Amino acid sequence: MRLLLVEDEIKTGDYLRQGLTEAGFQATLVRNGLDGHHLAMTESFDLIVLDVMLPDVDGWRIVQSLREAENQTPVLFLTARDSVDDRVKGLELGADDYLVKPFAFAELLARVRTLLRRGSAPPLTDQLRVANLTLDLPRHQVTRAGRKISLSHKEFCLLELLVRRQGEVLPRSLIASQVWDMNFDSDTNVIDVAIRRLRAKIDDNFKPRLIHTVRGMGYKLDAEADNENN
Amino acid sequence: MKTTERHPLSLTARVMIFVALAIGISMVLIGHLVLNAVERHFTEQDADELNVINQAVVETLQSMDDPLQQPEALSNAVSGHHGVYFQVLNNRDQLIFSTPGADFAQSAAGLSAVQKIHAGNVNIWHTDRTTYRGVVTQFVSGDQEYRITTAIDMNFHLHFLQEFRRSLWLIMILTGGVTLLAAWFGVHQGHAPLRGLSDKLRNIQADRLHVRLDLRSLPLELQDMATAFNQMIGRLEDSFTRLSHFSADIAHELRTPLTNLITQTQVALGKARTLDEYRELLYSNLEEQERLAKMVNDMLWLAKSDHGLIKPELVALDLSSELKKLFEFFEALVAEKHITLSLEGHAPAVSGDRAMMRRAISNLLSNAIRHTPAAEQMQVRLNLTSNNMVSLSVANPGAEIPAEQLKHIFDRFYRADPSRTRQSEGAGLGLAIVRSIVEAHGGRVDARSNRHITTFTITLPSSKSESN
Repeated sequence: MRLLLVEDEIKTGDYLRQGLTEAGFQATLVRNGLDGHHLAMTESFDLIVLDVMLPDVDGWRIVQSLREAENQTPVLFLTARDSVDDRVKGLELGADDYLVKPFAFAELLARVRTLLRRGSAPPLTDQLRVANLTLDLPRHQVTRAGRKISLSHKEFCLLELLVRRQGEVLPRSLIASQVWDMNFDSDTNVIDVAIRRLRAKIDDNFKPRLIHTVRGMGYKLDAEADNENN
Repeated sequence: MKTTERHPLSLTARVMIFVALAIGISMVLIGHLVLNAVERHFTEQDADELNVINQAVVETLQSMDDPLQQPEALSNAVSGHHGVYFQVLNNRDQLIFSTPGADFAQSAAGLSAVQKIHAGNVNIWHTDRTTYRGVVTQFVSGDQEYRITTAIDMNFHLHFLQEFRRSLWLIMILTGGVTLLAAWFGVHQGHAPLRGLSDKLRNIQADRLHVRLDLRSLPLELQDMATAFNQMIGRLEDSFTRLSHFSADIAHELRTPLTNLITQTQVALGKARTLDEYRELLYSNLEEQERLAKMVNDMLWLAKSDHGLIKPELVALDLSSELKKLFEFFEALVAEKHITLSLEGHAPAVSGDRAMMRRAISNLLSNAIRHTPAAEQMQVRLNLTSNNMVSLSVANPGAEIPAEQLKHIFDRFYRADPSRTRQSEGAGLGLAIVRSIVEAHGGRVDARSNRHITTFTITLPSSKSESN
């Protein structure tokens, strides 16, 4: 997956490139709007991560010009501003998502993956399977190693999200947004408690352990990462 | 066009214009009344005199057989009167007698005779030489009909009137001037308390906001203004104090995590560590940094809301369905503490921003859950109040919060219990955010506490009342 990263702040740009590269993306970094626009127009990328405040051309102009040229590469805006007007303007001009600084890198990664997955619909299936865990989607039933596990509706949704995005680190904010439709920064440790309770039902009496805490970032479901420290 | 904007007239000028107008109008009125009275008096006096002369002429005519032959007799009729003139004509228009020097014949010629002389029917005739007041009468004796024109020289009166008018106006102008001056002085003196007031106001600086105006030393008219001013200063002092506390609190809240970051990083770098220790340090740093980021975001949000930059995107919100979603969100937390959550009552929809309202209610719920002892019951109640407001109250059992603390519970960084650890509490901005959100929706927040139950209430206008 090729990503174009347009960011003028030197440290931010370097660390974002490093982080995205280490997450398995092929990330190209440019530090001004003109180069960014030129690259976006001449080469093919799967996603553009664009800072709004650039020294030469602002991010809005770039995205507008791309869309006018029928270039539909998904764009994720990064900005230090956070007002409804900015948000609306960005989305109207054709941006696909919006992240306000300071953001967590895990959040950026999760949003990038969401945008890249968009368009390719999840396979229509009645069953999800990880190791010896099976989710029966129409019946909302979970079995592990042949034993039925009873989950509440939201616990099932949470597990489904973790399974569908297995291997990805999901930040708490993304979990709150996707499972409960709560799109704000909550003061509580609700997600941690919810994960802990889900884990008690899914993982405690079984091998291998599936739900992992990624300290400082979020949670992930991974069948092969049982040796990581928690 | 600010530059051409006219300055309002000064208070003194306003008063002076009114006083001058009033004085001017009364002076003109008085002057006219006095002059009219004097003139009227003269007219009456002249009419009386004309009457006397006319009588004398008539009597003389009566006593004569043929007046045409004895004009001297007529000239003697009015002897002793000065400045008196008369002419007598018979019915063939022959001049029988004319006082020497009488030159008003032309003015009197067209006039018809009057029956009885009074102030209302005497005329004024101007000739080149002099001005007369005169009258024409008719006298019938046997077959003779006489036309008698009587006149008095009124130059003397006119002269007197002119003098009188001049001195009258002079006196009036002087009196008016003195009155105006006195009025100006009075207004100036009257404004003295105002000047004193502005001196006092000039001395109020940001660091002396405790200064209040002393109402007892002010005239009645200024007391209202001074009271309003005192209240304004009171509010300013309050906000100013809160603002400075807020800045101090920000500094303090930022200092703690920053100190942690710096200390642990420096200690860790003090000597070589194992890889795991470095990783541990980075994790620990990350936790502090996330707390800082969240605090900065929350403070920025509050600052924006203070400046009216947070504009709710209003949609019709059914609070019971929002609450059900939030109950699902808190399901795990509530189950963990064995708390029961219940929702009672119904309310019509309110118009609000979905994400903001969820955040506000979520903050209230998490606050209540945090303070509810394990295995107790928490109650959320929806109500439509009498004035078409929707109230949402979250009641949790727990220790009573003293009224003094309750008053500040929605303030930024305020913690009812200072001993509570920061880690478990967040930055103490949750309830301040609740208040900001609710106030941005035109509602209000309220907290009550008794020995067993603490209740937080949000009151919002129902969407029906808002559309009116």
